[in-house]
Amino acid sequence: MSPKTIATRPTRMALVVHPEMGVLSGFQSALTEQGFVTIIARELATALLAITQHYFDVALVSSALVEGGDGWPLAGVLHLVFPQAFVAVVSPTEPDVLTLQAAINYGVREIFDQTKPASQVVNSIVAQLKPAQSAGKSKVQ
Amino acid sequence: MPRKRSLLVVDDESSVLLTLRMILEKEGYDVITAESCAEALGLLDNGGNFDAVITDLNMEREDIGLEVARAAQQVKPKPVVMIITGFASMDNSRAALELGVDYMAHKPMETAVLLSALHRLLAKRRDSGERV
Repeated sequence: MSPKTIATRPTRMALVVHPEMGVLSGFQSALTEQGFVTIIARELATALLAITQHYFDVALVSSALVEGGDGWPLAGVLHLVFPQAFVAVVSPTEPDVLTLQAAINYGVREIFDQTKPASQVVNSIVAQLKPAQSAGKSKVQ
Repeated sequence: MPRKRSLLVVDDESSVLLTLRMILEKEGYDVITAESCAEALGLLDNGGNFDAVITDLNMEREDIGLEVARAAQQVKPKPVVMIITGFASMDNSRAALELGVDYMAHKPMETAVLLSALHRLLAKRRDSGERV
C-alpha cells in the first residue's frame, strides 16, 4: 500500500463574547465558515469557564457586556492567558482616543464597529492571522 | 546576582528625562536617556539591548516618537514599548495600536500608574520567554 498524504488543519478555536444572541450567531456562523470551532458566551461567567477549558487562537469580545466598557478587562485577560491569540473588541460606538488607548493597554489587536457585517470582521481577522496559524499541515499516513 | 533591567527613556524635555531617570533608578532599573528621536534611533541601531523603551511622541517633529516605537519593535528580543504623550490624537493612537505598542498614556500621569504598567509588562515579557 502506498503512503498517502492527507492535508490536515489543526483545529483553530475562537471565543465570541457578546450579550446579544443575534450578534453571537452571526459571528459563530462566519467563524465556522472559516474553519474555526467557535465557543460563544453571553456573559462573563461562561466566558471564564470557556477560558479554562479551551486554548483560543481568536477572541472577539463586546466592549459592553453588562455595561459600557466592562468588556475591556475581559479582553485584557484573554491577551494575558493566550498571548499569541488575536484578541479583538467589538464596539457599539465609533472609537475615540481613549478607546484606542484602552485597546493598546489591554493588548487588543483591533477594534471593530458593531455595525460591520460579521463576515467582514472575520475575514479581516483571518487575513491578519500569522500565516503559520492559518496554513494547513501535511502528514504521511 | 540578577541582571538589572535596562530601560531607554526618550523625551526632548530634560526635566522629564531627569525626573523619570530618578524614579526608575530608584526602582532598580538601569536607565539610558535620549533627548531626541535621532539619538534614540542611534542607540537602538547600535545594538542597544533594552528591556523597555519609554518614549515621548512630539520631539523633533509631531508624532516622531512613533519612529522610536517602530525601531524598537524591530529589535530582537523585542523590548516592551511604552508611549507617554501630552498630545494623543486619533491618528497617533491608531498608529500606535497598529504598531503593536504595549502601553500608551497621557501626560501628566501618576508615577504609580507608570510603574505598575512597566512592572506588569516586564513580568509578562519575562514569563512569555521573549527575553530568556
